[in-house]
Amino acid sequence: MAKRLLLIAALLCAGVAHADDAPIVSKAAPVQRVDNPDGFTEPLKSLKFNPGLDAQEFERSSLNALNVYDPLESWNRRVYHFNYRFDEWVFLPVVNGYKYITPSFVRTGVSNFFSNLGDIPNLVNSLLQFKGKRSMETTGRLIINTTLGIAGLWDPATKMGLPKQSEDFGQTLGVWGVGDGAYVMLPGMGPSTLRNFTGDMVDNFVLPEIALTTPQTILVFALRAVETRASLIPQESLLNESLDPYTFVKDVYYQRQLYEVYDGNPPIKEEPEADDYDDDFLENL
Amino acid sequence: MLRFLRLAALSGGLFLSASVMAVDIDPSSYGFPLTNPFEATIATTPPDLRAKVPDDADIDQDDYSLTLRPDREFTLPDNFWAVKKLRYRLAKQDHPAPLIFLIAGTGAPYNSTLNEYLKRLYYGAGYNVVQLSSPTSYDFMSAASRFATPGVTKEDAEDLYRVMQAVRAQQNKLQVTEYYLTGYSLGALDAAFVSKLDETRRSFNFKKVLLINPPVNLYTSITNLDKMVQTEVKGITNSTTFYELVLQKLTRYFREKGYIDLNDALLYDFQQSKQHLSNEQMAMLIGTSFRFSAADIAFTSDLINRRGLITPPKTPISEGTSLTPFLKRALQCDFDCYVTEQVIPMWRARTDGGSLLQLVDQVSLYALKDYLSTSKKIAVMHNADDVILGPGDLGFLRKTFGDRLTVYPYGGHCGNMNYRVNSDAMLEFFRG
Repeated sequence: MAKRLLLIAALLCAGVAHADDAPIVSKAAPVQRVDNPDGFTEPLKSLKFNPGLDAQEFERSSLNALNVYDPLESWNRRVYHFNYRFDEWVFLPVVNGYKYITPSFVRTGVSNFFSNLGDIPNLVNSLLQFKGKRSMETTGRLIINTTLGIAGLWDPATKMGLPKQSEDFGQTLGVWGVGDGAYVMLPGMGPSTLRNFTGDMVDNFVLPEIALTTPQTILVFALRAVETRASLIPQESLLNESLDPYTFVKDVYYQRQLYEVYDGNPPIKEEPEADDYDDDFLENL
Repeated sequence: MLRFLRLAALSGGLFLSASVMAVDIDPSSYGFPLTNPFEATIATTPPDLRAKVPDDADIDQDDYSLTLRPDREFTLPDNFWAVKKLRYRLAKQDHPAPLIFLIAGTGAPYNSTLNEYLKRLYYGAGYNVVQLSSPTSYDFMSAASRFATPGVTKEDAEDLYRVMQAVRAQQNKLQVTEYYLTGYSLGALDAAFVSKLDETRRSFNFKKVLLINPPVNLYTSITNLDKMVQTEVKGITNSTTFYELVLQKLTRYFREKGYIDLNDALLYDFQQSKQHLSNEQMAMLIGTSFRFSAADIAFTSDLINRRGLITPPKTPISEGTSLTPFLKRALQCDFDCYVTEQVIPMWRARTDGGSLLQLVDQVSLYALKDYLSTSKKIAVMHNADDVILGPGDLGFLRKTFGDRLTVYPYGGHCGNMNYRVNSDAMLEFFRG
């Protein structure tokens, strides 16, 4: 539960790598331990509190975060319930069956294969967004993985320093200046916005036609959905810990979207130094 | 002078005779790396130092549901579709084995991270394991609680006891040799009261009970938690809220690192980077997480009892109704507000008056002092730097439990439960 906030941020996008084994040396200031006869160290004594203990920062932060444009909420909540049941009764059994019958190296291969196919829309969208360097790198990935990686079953490009860089048509529309549109919950698919839904349709059904026939496209879409669902199982318990999972999902979705549109560099408001802040404050008086 | 020395020796001796008995773990030999209690609480033990527990794939487990309050099916709004029945999780051994009940902490459901960890630990050691939600979680409140106003620990324990009996009735084919009980945080306080109840009801005859990081004085604990969102956090400005601040720090950290990495070690890496959170920021994060629990409790209790403090009575709520306006109101209610506005009025009405002090005495470990000091089957594991304790609380535990109390020097609030030294001690207690 305490990790919820950090995890929201961490969920912004996924990737796997290994941390170095280094001793844990925290940069946070050491916590002063008070000597009590019974051994209690009074950790809260070491903290600085607001003088009146009446700051409303928690309330301000939380209320602020709850303000998301959601005119379709009534419809969305019903669909969320439908999806929850659909997931429980149809989708998860399929996913578990798939996981049961497929050895993990096969699944990695399948996952890589789709990931390679997914580089086609990534390339097209990079081009449409006029990102020259990215387009070159993605082209490189496609060539290496399709040849050395044997039709994309392995992913040698990442090891050679060309990591996957996702660009979807929703983002392209965003770069072209199309607004988000309302938040929508799609039956059987999950959260999206009107813009991203349009983008997904283009990415999943129009762009693959460059390389595949229509029935193949649909098969690929279904298998990819199963793969994606399987990869989300470890994060499920987060949902159980919130009273209103609908709102939680919406929050995470928007955070992630913000992150992706800016390619991991959302504009950061600079923190004024403490002194500037005081000056501003004095000037305003 | 001589008399003074003798007096000093005598009082020292008296003090020691009471306190020397508890097992104090020496900081130098303990080896737990996180000496910062806030870091320990948020991040828990580094992955390499955790106890080895079986994977989910190797555990024969399932979720079951119980209908304990059939009336709620009709009285609860449609929006509560997910929690009209009480769910619990059972991990079964394939041979006759002892069964252990796990009670989750404040606001936590049966499948909270810590409960899942304890399940793996005990399942791996050969127990059948039943995971129960905390009486303060919204699913328990709406599906199993009679008054849906958690906080009066004795009543919460009765609700829990009924749930446990229902679990046993539903799993009548399960071969159980004997019963054990454990809980962490608020769940540990609940476990103590459940154990007391079991002495008269005798349904389970718990053989051993382990309390992990229990609150001693419940009011001290909620006051501490409420206070933690009031730390002086640097970097919050008119345009940047606390959440934005934390998210910005994480974003910068990922950018400096060049890639995003979602593994267990994320939080340690993050704390070792330039973007690390300060103690005040970590405290605020812990406080925030508990404030969400407080909001959930206040909202659910008010709604089920139709008190009209948060949700106006008779507001039509269907499956599609937005809960945001009500959540906004609930978020402004901390634990103190919930106790004052909802628990005390109900408790007074039901028990013919009484002051806050009396309530605090009744719902805290103090109420069970005599029982706990004589009952050899109950033990406590606690940390010297737990943020939910106040001065004197450890002293009370030392006096009451004697050598059945183990005090660890570090770990914050429940941050060392998955450390292998603690996990071994937990298993050892039930084995011995």
